Amino acid sequence: MKLDRRTFLKSASAGGVYCALSQVVPGTLATLYASPLEPVGQEVMSICEMCSTRCPISARVVDDRNVSINGNIHAAPYGGKVCARGGSGHSLLYDPERLVKPIKRMGERGEGKWKEISWEEAYSEIADKLLAIKKKYGPEAVAFSSKGGSQDRELFYMARAFGSPNVFTHISTCPGGPYVAAASMFGGLPKCDFGNARYIVNFGHSMYEGIEMWEAQAMMKNQVDKGTKLVAFDPRFSILADKADEWYPIKPGTDIAVALAMSHVMIRDDLVDLDFVTKYVEGYESFVKETENYTPEWAEQISGVSAADIVRITHELAFHAPHALVDYGHRSTYTPEEFEFRRALFAVNILLGNIEREGGLFFSQKAKEYNGLAGEKVAPELGTADMQVPAPITQRIDMVADKQYTLLVPYGGVYQSILDTAIKSDPYPLKGWVITRSNPLQTVTDRAKVEKAIRSMDFVVACDVYITETAALADIILPESTYLERDESIYDYSLKFPAYAIRQPVVKTIGDTKPCWQIWRELAIKMGLGEYYKWNDMSEYQLAQLGGDKEELAQLKEKGWLQYGEVPLLLREKKMVADFTKKFSGARTPDADGTYASAMKFRTPNGKIALSSSFVETIAPGREVIRYRDVKMKKEEELFFIQGKVAVHTNGATHNIPMLHNLMSDCSLWIHPETAEKLGIKTGDTIRIHNKIGSEEGKALVTLGIRPDTVFAYMGFGSKNKELKRANNRGIHCGNLLPDVTAPVCGMNLHTTGVTVEKA
Amino acid sequence: MQTNYVMIHDERRCTGCQSCSIACRSENKVPLTVFRLQVQIEGPHGAIPHLHYRYHRVSCQQCENSPCVSVCPTGASYVGDDGIVSVKQKLCVGCQYCLAACPYKVRFIHPETKAADKCNFCKDSRLEREGIPACVDICPMNALIFGDLNDPDSEVAKVLNTAITHKNNPHLGTKPRLYRIPTKRGGIHNG
Repeated sequence: MKLDRRTFLKSASAGGVYCALSQVVPGTLATLYASPLEPVGQEVMSICEMCSTRCPISARVVDDRNVSINGNIHAAPYGGKVCARGGSGHSLLYDPERLVKPIKRMGERGEGKWKEISWEEAYSEIADKLLAIKKKYGPEAVAFSSKGGSQDRELFYMARAFGSPNVFTHISTCPGGPYVAAASMFGGLPKCDFGNARYIVNFGHSMYEGIEMWEAQAMMKNQVDKGTKLVAFDPRFSILADKADEWYPIKPGTDIAVALAMSHVMIRDDLVDLDFVTKYVEGYESFVKETENYTPEWAEQISGVSAADIVRITHELAFHAPHALVDYGHRSTYTPEEFEFRRALFAVNILLGNIEREGGLFFSQKAKEYNGLAGEKVAPELGTADMQVPAPITQRIDMVADKQYTLLVPYGGVYQSILDTAIKSDPYPLKGWVITRSNPLQTVTDRAKVEKAIRSMDFVVACDVYITETAALADIILPESTYLERDESIYDYSLKFPAYAIRQPVVKTIGDTKPCWQIWRELAIKMGLGEYYKWNDMSEYQLAQLGGDKEELAQLKEKGWLQYGEVPLLLREKKMVADFTKKFSGARTPDADGTYASAMKFRTPNGKIALSSSFVETIAPGREVIRYRDVKMKKEEELFFIQGKVAVHTNGATHNIPMLHNLMSDCSLWIHPETAEKLGIKTGDTIRIHNKIGSEEGKALVTLGIRPDTVFAYMGFGSKNKELKRANNRGIHCGNLLPDVTAPVCGMNLHTTGVTVEKA
Repeated sequence: MQTNYVMIHDERRCTGCQSCSIACRSENKVPLTVFRLQVQIEGPHGAIPHLHYRYHRVSCQQCENSPCVSVCPTGASYVGDDGIVSVKQKLCVGCQYCLAACPYKVRFIHPETKAADKCNFCKDSRLEREGIPACVDICPMNALIFGDLNDPDSEVAKVLNTAITHKNNPHLGTKPRLYRIPTKRGGIHNG
């Protein structure tokens, strides 16, 4: 079928996707005479970008506008599979609401009046405006924020060359807690060996909805094929809670009490791996002293989980040690004591002695480590074509007052610190904001404040595939090519042995979009920073990453995934070390006990695992030892409001994509039947949810799957900008109800609060 | 019958992620207003803390005794040599008898072809090309098993001989070829 404008619009509008020409937004795909998809190859191996997990994919163009996307079978840990979001990538590709030309704001911010401009005009204006801010206020007056992945590398490199220290990822609005806790204790984030654990305790990590493919697959196989027991603590009955053997609807924000009581029980009942602790852990004595009072009875008072259950679960868990783990999680119910909560989860693992053991926690064997142990070059180490750029002189905005966020900065800093800084010009003015593939109006708390911060800026640039809620308030929006149309730098996927994957175009670019590396490189050159770019295109960059090995790059492009050595290695597993030394003749000689335990390197001040951390004491006085602190997240009469993930959407990014919108276009507020009855609310009723931050309207879902004192909604719905016609005002906008609170040390945004619910 | 294709939906593994539903749409170009396949998450049922969800695959049951085929006046609905119940688009006059006759309510009129349509195990798409339906191929949790029951060495044969399975509405005598492995909690609901 030949696609002209009329037939394209007709087909694209099937399924309630209406796009009257009078409402077409400039710069969107609907304005184009879209041509049929042009495949780049018969079947292209690449990397997904529908969430941040980046699963390896294989994609085949089916016809004019459909692409069949599946997992890349070479990427064994991912099982050759993708989720619903991954399968829907082509729906984004051909969405008439997708942005395919640079556009410029014509009316007031957020008024929705746009004009298409050329890339040259866009670059010129952005360069002029950013350089003017730099001249007047200094380069630090421009903040740069980005989605994690290759985008942040590209954008932050330009930012550094520009001279600004203020670069931010979404880390402090999502997974920062475990990263910072692990940084303080181990010097880096370990992974959970879900596939081999014989007992797993999970605190609110809904990993069958927020799907991290290799983890979820390994865990399900383990659960069903080996009958491994899973215990879930979550105020909500998630899919994971359903698949678990035991579910405890724990009171929001009290997970830390249960975790500390588990440590108490292990110490009290002599279940600690003292040999491991003696050799590798510092600060054990002060932890023992601190946890003396954290009895199961104490935890029961706080969390509602019975002391008997806490004791039994701890004994069951310890029985399977070291092949047992406490999932340190992602999200769960946040509290201002997120840092201590995550440390408490890691603490149980440390007492179990499960570090570098099967079914425990382990650190990736990247090329450098693996080669070092093998005594030969098994895998190429990833290089770079980037140059040494002088570090910005000015202090970051999140590091001026004190140094407590030191450990978060390498991962992307306190994102929400932009808000107060921009509004109050404290500690110094912030006048420009460059945002790529990040949607702070959805993901950072206190929507009104985020909007105020944007409006207080002199100049805002957004780069995205849609006119997102945030982009809608920008002065210029640049259209990035979707992941199915662009290439990127090589990415490290090492788990128990080294592995790399590569993103490459599946179809030729639609419209006038560009890959992000090209956008920021060209803008940098426009701003006179060309000296920092030795490479001209992504192929050159990729080649530099592989040390100029063309053969290797060709192979990687063909298979999309290369793995090296293939002998899985956990440093404290004798059998694995024996297999490793058998495979590599020049391998490091094992320790006397047959392991590589002596090769464990913890990047902490004294090289040991810091169960209690004197370093943390220096950046955050009073926080050396893990401690329980009372928190207040709501008023007595309010209900807890918590959020979570759903398998068919990615927070703040996918809600307007036709196929996914079709699967889930709205989110209801989960309310327990008792609470609903008191409030006179039935399923399907229109309700108002409000607190001092904001007010939202939505639908009620009366369900037993939530505690009576808590309500729940999926994140990412209720976009308030008109440019996203499908997602606009559909569902509850969570950010509009959450307060701008930052947790100590880990810098995390608080996603738990109190709300009042009533019939609208 | 040369082959006897059957499918097993393992509800212990299924998380209701809808990956299958999307893969089906992409592979078979199913318009957004209709669907050949969905997994409906029902519940939670039970009492706190012993709740459970049901993961209900809603798609053609591939009945051995298929009412949709017997009521079809034109022979458009038919059973192939492979045992697959399918629709010959060109022979369909859109009378919708089959839609009415299907006790599982999984047939629809395709908005573009105007013919009756439904899951046919990707007979003319991925099964033909790669020997496996799109939903089975993509399922992240390996909750779908597909194969030829005439082959005693097939995975489906092994699983059906070793696992507890049931079918939807067995009392109707339709003999579905879609089997279900129930979740670990709650009763068996095969309506």
